[in-house]
Amino acid sequence: MAGAFGFKGCQKIRGPQIRNLLEAKDFILLDCDGVLWHGEKAVTGAATVVNSMIRNGKNVVFVTNNCTRPREKYVHKFSRLGFTDVMLEQIFSSSYCSALYLRDVVKITGQVFVMGCEALRTELQEAGVPCVEEAEDPDATIYNCALAPDVKAVLVGHDDKMTFLKLAKASCYLRDPDCLFLATDIDPWHPLSGGRILPGSGSLTAALEVSSGRKATVIGKPSRFMFECISSQFKGVDPAKCLMIGDRLETDMLFGSNCRLDTMLTLTGVSQTKDAEEYRDSELTTNHSFVPDYIVDSIADFLPAFDEQEEQSN
Amino acid sequence: MSGSKCTRLTGALVKPVLDSVDSVLFDCDGVIWRGDQAIPGASQVINLLKESGKKVFFVTNNSTKTRKMYVEKMTTMGLNATEEEVFGTAYCSAMYLKNECKLEGKKVYLIGSNAMKDELQAVGIQQTGVGADHISGKQVDWANVDLDPEVKAVVVGFDEHFSYMKLNRALQYLIRQGCLFVGTNRDTRLPLEGGKAVPGTGCLLQAVETAAQRQAQTVGKPNRYMFDCVASQFGLDPSRCLMVGDRLDTDIMLGSNCGLKTLLTLTGVSTVADTEAHQKSGCTERQGMVPDYYVESIADLLPALQG
Repeated sequence: MAGAFGFKGCQKIRGPQIRNLLEAKDFILLDCDGVLWHGEKAVTGAATVVNSMIRNGKNVVFVTNNCTRPREKYVHKFSRLGFTDVMLEQIFSSSYCSALYLRDVVKITGQVFVMGCEALRTELQEAGVPCVEEAEDPDATIYNCALAPDVKAVLVGHDDKMTFLKLAKASCYLRDPDCLFLATDIDPWHPLSGGRILPGSGSLTAALEVSSGRKATVIGKPSRFMFECISSQFKGVDPAKCLMIGDRLETDMLFGSNCRLDTMLTLTGVSQTKDAEEYRDSELTTNHSFVPDYIVDSIADFLPAFDEQEEQSN
Repeated sequence: MSGSKCTRLTGALVKPVLDSVDSVLFDCDGVIWRGDQAIPGASQVINLLKESGKKVFFVTNNSTKTRKMYVEKMTTMGLNATEEEVFGTAYCSAMYLKNECKLEGKKVYLIGSNAMKDELQAVGIQQTGVGADHISGKQVDWANVDLDPEVKAVVVGFDEHFSYMKLNRALQYLIRQGCLFVGTNRDTRLPLEGGKAVPGTGCLLQAVETAAQRQAQTVGKPNRYMFDCVASQFGLDPSRCLMVGDRLDTDIMLGSNCGLKTLLTLTGVSTVADTEAHQKSGCTERQGMVPDYYVESIADLLPALQG
C-alpha cells in the first residue's frame, strides 16, 4: 500500500510482500516494452509470471502506448514469446483506444486525417472510423495540394513516413476549431534494444502543437482514457484493487497515479531507481505523481510468490 | 523611449521620430512584401530613407534565401539594397556557427535549405543532410543509421524536405557527446494566401528538441544575436535605431531586448488588439512586445519623407 508516512516511496519489495500485494489486487495492468520483452526477446521469467497470474485468477490486461502494431499482431507476439492464452480483449494499445475514442466518445461523423503508421489506420478502419486516403503524389506541395473535405479530426501517432507536406496538411485541418486534435501518446522517444532510441509520437505531436497553437488530447498513458476503456470493458474494476506495472515513470507511473492505482516500477526498461528518487525528493509536489509505490528489479521477482502459493496449495 | 506606448504614427509625429534615429532596421515578410507581392509604397519609403542619409538594414528570420537572393528579390521590387545590408538567418546562423561555435573548417548535420548550405560554405563550414531523405529499411536500421564522425553540430532551419528520417538522424547526432544544437528561429507559421498555413521552422525545431529532450540555441529574432551582428559590423548606437516589423513576439521583442525604438506595421501578422492584450497583461516580458509606435503600412511614412 502507499508508504507508511503518507507519501509514495519507491519501496523495494520481494517474495512474501509481493504475495501479499497480489492477494489484495484483482486487476494487474502491465506495460509491455521494457517490462515483458525487449523487441523480440522476452524478459526472463516474464511469461511464467503472467501465465501464473492468469492461472491464479487475476485479471491481467496489457496497456501499451506502442501504436505500431494492431491487436491481432500483439496476440501473435504474446504467443510467440511464450505468453499462453493472451486474448485480444486483454490488449489495450493506444491505437485501439484511439479508435474507441473516435467511435464511442466523439461519435465522429466525418473523416480522420491520420499521421501514423498502417497499424493505426487498421485499428480505425476496424472500428468503422473513416480515414483520409493519402494519394501518393510526389509532386504535391502545400501550395498546390488538395485538402480532403469534412475532416473532423487529426490523429497523430508514430509516423515513420512523416513528411513536411503531411505536417502542413495536418496544420491546415487544425485551423478549423471544430476539427479535433488527438495524439496516441506523447512519448518523446521510444527505446529499442541495445540502448538505442528513435523519435516518438511526442516529437511529431509537439511540432503540430507549435504550428496549430493548440494542445492535443492525449489518448495513451499518462492520460486516464485507456483506464476508462478498461473499466468500460470489464466488470467491477476498482482502482483500489488494481496494480499498474511499468518501466517508464513519465508514462506508466503517472498513468497509475492519475487513475488512483498502486504503481510498481520494474527496472528492466527506461527508468532507473535514481530517476524515481529524484522525483520523490523534488520540492515540486507535482513531481511526486511520477514516483512508484513499489520497485522490483524485474517482473521475474514475482516468481517466488507463485512458487510459495503452489507449495501451499499442494 | 516615449512615456506612452503604442502611439499611432501619423502626420506631424512622423518627422521627429525619423529625425531621432540614424538607422532603420526592417523585417521583410509582412513589412516590405507579402510572399512575392511588394507592399505598395514600401520600396519608395526605403529608397527615400537612404537618400535622406539613414542607414537601412534588413533583418529577417527567413532562412531560405542567401543575402544575394534577397538583394535579387529587392531589386525586382525597385528597392535599392546591397548584400551587406541584409541579415537573414541563413547568413547569421553561419556567422554564429563560425564566430561563437568556432566551427570554421568543421562539419554540421543540416536540416535546412540550399541557401543555408551556401551561407555555411561561404564561411568554411561543411554540411551533410540537405535535400530529400526518405525512410527505408526497418526500425533497427534507423537507430543504427550511419553517422558522419566529423559532424560537430545539428543545425535546424526551414526545410520543406523535413521527414521522420531527418528527425531521426538529428536525434542520433544529438545524443552523441558534445554535439552542439543550433536553430535558426522559432517562427511557428508562414501565412499563405488562400487559407493555408505552412508550418514554420519553430515546428521542425520543436520536433527535434522534443525527441532529443534538449533545447537548441536559436539565432533569430527575438534573440539579440541578429542585432549584434548588424551593430558589430556597422557600429550602431541602439538608442538611435528604429526596428520596424509586423510581429510582436519577434520584431518588437528584439527591439525591446536591444534598447531600440520600435514600430509595428499592420500589414502582416500582429494587430492592434494583440498589442493592447500585451499592454494590459501584468507581465513584464509581455510589455517588451508593446511597440512604441504603429502604422497601418510603412507607406504611411511617405508624406514625411517626401515633404
